Amino acid sequence: MAHNTSNNRKISIISTLSRISLLVGVLMLFWSPSASAQKYFADSGYIEFESRAPALTFKGVSQNLTGLVDLGKNSVDFYLDLNTIDTGIELRNRHMRESYLETAKFPFAEFLGFLVDSYERDGDKPVEVSAKGTFKIHGVTRAIDVNGTISPEGENIRLEASFTVALEDHNISRPRIVFYELSDIQRVSLNILLEKYDD
Amino acid sequence: MTKTHSRRFGYLVITLLLMGFSVDAFGQMERRLVQQDRPVELTFMAPRNINLHTIEPLAKGEMHYAIMHAFGEVSNGWRNFYGIDNGANIRFSLEYGFTERLSTWIGRSGEDKVFEAGARYVVLRQMTSGDMPISLGINGNIGLNSSDLNAFVAQEYEFYERVSYFVSVPIARKENDRLSYQLTPMLAHFNRVGPEISIPLNENTYFGIGTSLRYKLRGRLALTGQYVYKANRDVADNIAIGLDIETGGHVFQLFFTTTRSLTDQYVLASDNGNPLDGGLRFGFNVNRLFSIK
Repeated sequence: MAHNTSNNRKISIISTLSRISLLVGVLMLFWSPSASAQKYFADSGYIEFESRAPALTFKGVSQNLTGLVDLGKNSVDFYLDLNTIDTGIELRNRHMRESYLETAKFPFAEFLGFLVDSYERDGDKPVEVSAKGTFKIHGVTRAIDVNGTISPEGENIRLEASFTVALEDHNISRPRIVFYELSDIQRVSLNILLEKYDD
Repeated sequence: MTKTHSRRFGYLVITLLLMGFSVDAFGQMERRLVQQDRPVELTFMAPRNINLHTIEPLAKGEMHYAIMHAFGEVSNGWRNFYGIDNGANIRFSLEYGFTERLSTWIGRSGEDKVFEAGARYVVLRQMTSGDMPISLGINGNIGLNSSDLNAFVAQEYEFYERVSYFVSVPIARKENDRLSYQLTPMLAHFNRVGPEISIPLNENTYFGIGTSLRYKLRGRLALTGQYVYKANRDVADNIAIGLDIETGGHVFQLFFTTTRSLTDQYVLASDNGNPLDGGLRFGFNVNRLFSIK
């Protein structure tokens, strides 16, 4: 008898749980299509890394920044093939790929995160947005906050943002003995026109 | 009872599947490389490895400035700071990349006051996919001895007699992230030889095979080695060991070598000290690259 009561209680808990979860599931099913209509994608965004060291200031740039922003879910997913960064001197690029970023092992830099507040369009004006997430380079992931702006361009959006990355936070070692030609702090800025995208 | 139970369990499974589906839509994009198969890079850290040219090409519009030094023999002792006081042979050169494969340079060495003009072309490039397992190039120069030779000889030097030639075919492979090696068959010809020029033999043509090695110790530090076998057995083979340091803009190469020569044809034709008997010399190269696109 006591066994039966406990069994009944179990069943009633399962039943309540499954009703709630079914409701949630069905809601998500309806919510998803409306959300996917707010996806924006691009694979040719501009990104630069600026290094200001006492002996030398230089930039590494790429036109291959790839990003997917979903304004319905507030999700932000960016990555860059680090092999595409050009510092203007090919030998320096090769050294950057081999000795610093080790692109054979860690080919991508990635940002994965969420917009803190939903983007609300304000005419054609740029709207300030901030994202919280993780930045991964050289196999090391760190939490990061990024501030930027979103501006509408027709049915597309342009995202501009900047942040700094400390190379040592990501176990990227720098020359210390002979010259300081590479700064620990890399100023990263990006500009990407994301096109409306239906999957 | 069991039926109800299983139906409710079914709801739960469906719900979890639906949620899973949504979570999947949150997942990150697939990461794709822009270029799948790439040429293997940094077989050597610079276009030079101790005394010899490497296969490492310049990019289009890139300029490579190199200044090379070789001091006196270590056997000169502590009073001459192991050869540093004996004065260095210095060679500097400026090389320009016309394409990713072709570059030309001009250089000048203190030894015999030789001016040289050279070119190199990378015929084959090792690829990351392994489809092409080696890199192969062709490298040559024409040198002009501009020293005051006529003070020492009965018959004056004609212009063409001051000219020397060098050609080599570097064949290189980067075995892995750490180890690279290069074999360089090479040929040199001097239009006129004699005791007034800085090569020991009275022979016009020289043949040899250079071996260059690089072993990466850490990110920007590599151990280097060199051996030049000489088919003209009356001159000793060259041997050298060194260290490459990359600093984010320069590549410094510090080494001990058995030759004073820095121009390719002289490296092949000159005599070498005995490394076990104080015949090594300290030397260093500074490699700097500019872009003038």
